[in-house]
Amino acid sequence: MSEPLLSVEELQVRFQTYAGRVHAVNGMTFEVGRGEFFGLVGESGCGKSVTGLAILGMIPRGGAVASGRIRFHGEDLLTKSDAQMRAIRGRHIAMIFQDPAATLNPVFTIGSQIVRVIRQHTSISPEEARRRALETLDAVALPDPPRIFRAYPHELSGGMQQRVMIAMALSCGAELLIADEPTTALDVTIQAQILGLLAEIRRRQGVSILLITHNLGVVAETCDRVAVAYAGRVVEVGRVEDVLFRPVHPYTQGLLAALPRAGQAKESLLSIPGSVPDGLALPSGCAFHPRCASAVELCRSGEPALTVVGPDGHRVACHLFRREGAA
Amino acid sequence: MRWLGYVVRRLLMAVLVLVSVSIVTFVIARVIPSDPAAAWVGPHPTPAQIAKAREELALDRPLYEQYLRYVTALLRGDFGTSVKSHQPISRDLRNYLPATMELVLAAMLVAVVVGVPLGVLSGARKGSLFDHLTRLASVAGVSVPTFWLALLLQLLFFAKLRLLPLGSRISNELALYNPIRQITGMYTLDSILTGNWAGLRDTLVHLILPALTLATYPIGLAIRMTRSTMLEVLSERYILAARAAGISERAILFVLALKNAIIPTITVLGLSFVYSLTGAMLVEVIFSWPGLGTYLTDAVLNIDFPVIVTVTLVVTVFYVVVNLILDLVQAALDPRVTLR
Ligand SMILES: Nc1ncnc2c1ncn2[C@@H]1O[C@H](COP(=O)(O)OP(=O)(O)OP(=O)(O)O)[C@@H](O)[C@H]1O
Ligand SMILES: [Mg+2]
Repeated sequence: MSEPLLSVEELQVRFQTYAGRVHAVNGMTFEVGRGEFFGLVGESGCGKSVTGLAILGMIPRGGAVASGRIRFHGEDLLTKSDAQMRAIRGRHIAMIFQDPAATLNPVFTIGSQIVRVIRQHTSISPEEARRRALETLDAVALPDPPRIFRAYPHELSGGMQQRVMIAMALSCGAELLIADEPTTALDVTIQAQILGLLAEIRRRQGVSILLITHNLGVVAETCDRVAVAYAGRVVEVGRVEDVLFRPVHPYTQGLLAALPRAGQAKESLLSIPGSVPDGLALPSGCAFHPRCASAVELCRSGEPALTVVGPDGHRVACHLFRREGAA
Repeated sequence: MRWLGYVVRRLLMAVLVLVSVSIVTFVIARVIPSDPAAAWVGPHPTPAQIAKAREELALDRPLYEQYLRYVTALLRGDFGTSVKSHQPISRDLRNYLPATMELVLAAMLVAVVVGVPLGVLSGARKGSLFDHLTRLASVAGVSVPTFWLALLLQLLFFAKLRLLPLGSRISNELALYNPIRQITGMYTLDSILTGNWAGLRDTLVHLILPALTLATYPIGLAIRMTRSTMLEVLSERYILAARAAGISERAILFVLALKNAIIPTITVLGLSFVYSLTGAMLVEVIFSWPGLGTYLTDAVLNIDFPVIVTVTLVVTVFYVVVNLILDLVQAALDPRVTLR
């Protein structure tokens, strides 16, 4: 892979709370190439959303980047000023969220919201912005763009609202779209349509997509590459074929074993024993060791680094593999 | 238009409200143990004089007939005659009502212009020094005694700095050399309409202190209300999404968030406006402002029932109209509100 569009390197984000310091992101590392559909998966609380917000320079109050780098087009975003980041957001990197109904402002028309974003980033006339907004509504396959333009959010269905959000995200020609659980709040059939739309937009416009999800099925269907995160850290990353069909990390293997499969009885479903660690008090060494059936002494003391284990950048952070590989 | 039918229906309901209020006030005025006829005649009346007055005022008629006479007169614009001054009440109203309106509207304008932005910024910077100071100001605005503040302002701006007049609506010189031709009775408006710039200046100079004094309470309300709804709105996901789209912070606060947050503030200010129509009495007295509050207080002290009933009706009309306007404004700001 030539220089990636986005690279997140050893990112650490911490929140100062009344209960203490929360380690939300602990050395997140992954790269998204140009035109790539990249998945970031992990259980709830593993730092996916915080990573997405950190890329936009929008870590919520109380939180801050403790170390690491975020490069976009080779430039370190963490050194940019607020004003520079504001000019990048919406223009070069856009983000869509879960629950589109809550993401659109209820008291403004769809059209005025899209036009506002366009006019924030360009100096075109209102009529020109309106024309462009209608075009983007058309590009996300919404029927009757002029009617949608005049409509208020509550007059649209959930699927249409998410299409509007995608239209708004792409209205200024962003190169990277961060989609944080974009289909979680939608019905299954609508989910498939929205994912199809994202795939089509990627194909047609060459936009890179960072899809944040906890659904491995969605990743398998849509993504080129995937990173599996656990307790704020990537434990395995690589092409979808490698990570999901030849998983190496015990956590990835556990996640896949827990997936329901056709013809499999409910009770034979495996799930990983134990629970996700608390960001307030992370386990020592490999954060997964308390739940890992094959943990050894080293797992308790040393943090494993991401190591190449296969072709096309398949990498894993696990002591066991290293030992086996060394043996 | 979707508004029209709604407005007509609301106005018809308003008529019902007015009829009920007029009956209630009328009955209360008549059953209270006091003798309007005696008041009408003045001090030390003879029984014969009282009897004559009773007949003149139709007080010897049955109550329903008295009410009907009263209402018929009302419909002709005749509010009756003040028992105390023997003047037609409609003439008094033409003086007092615009004076009060001018004062209260100015105060509300100040409250919006000062209170809303402070509330927005204070909500946006929750926990900052600015927020603490603004909240302190809002508590002070709501709780500072009006008369004390009024006297303080007079002491400072009139006695010490000699910048602003002590009271009344215009200066004597202006009334003499540049009188404001009355159209609405609100001098600011009238002087603009007639191009009387000396009049406008003089009116504004007289308006500053009483309007500021009267505005402290609604400023406090506006800050408090705007801040708390802004806090709620700013935690909404659509604000996060607007930031993610790179929208400037100013547009986020004062357009995207404020349009969602302003309705409760407008509502409390509207109701505060109606209250101040008669509730500004202290300010009116201290600044020699010939307004409705003073008029009503005098009427109460003199048991001047025709005046009391009339002022009550006028305030009721305002209450009904302001409420209607508030509902329309809410529907205009929020498309999810349906007018029914
Ligand atoms: N504003 C905040 N203050 C304190 N801690 C926070 C804050 N936001 C997130 N965290 C913590 O950071 C960790 C990661 O949160 P994040 O929202 O990134 O999880 P996620 O992977 O997106 O999970 P989900 O699938 O539930 O969305 C969590 O442990 C959470 O408690
Ligand atoms: Mg999340």
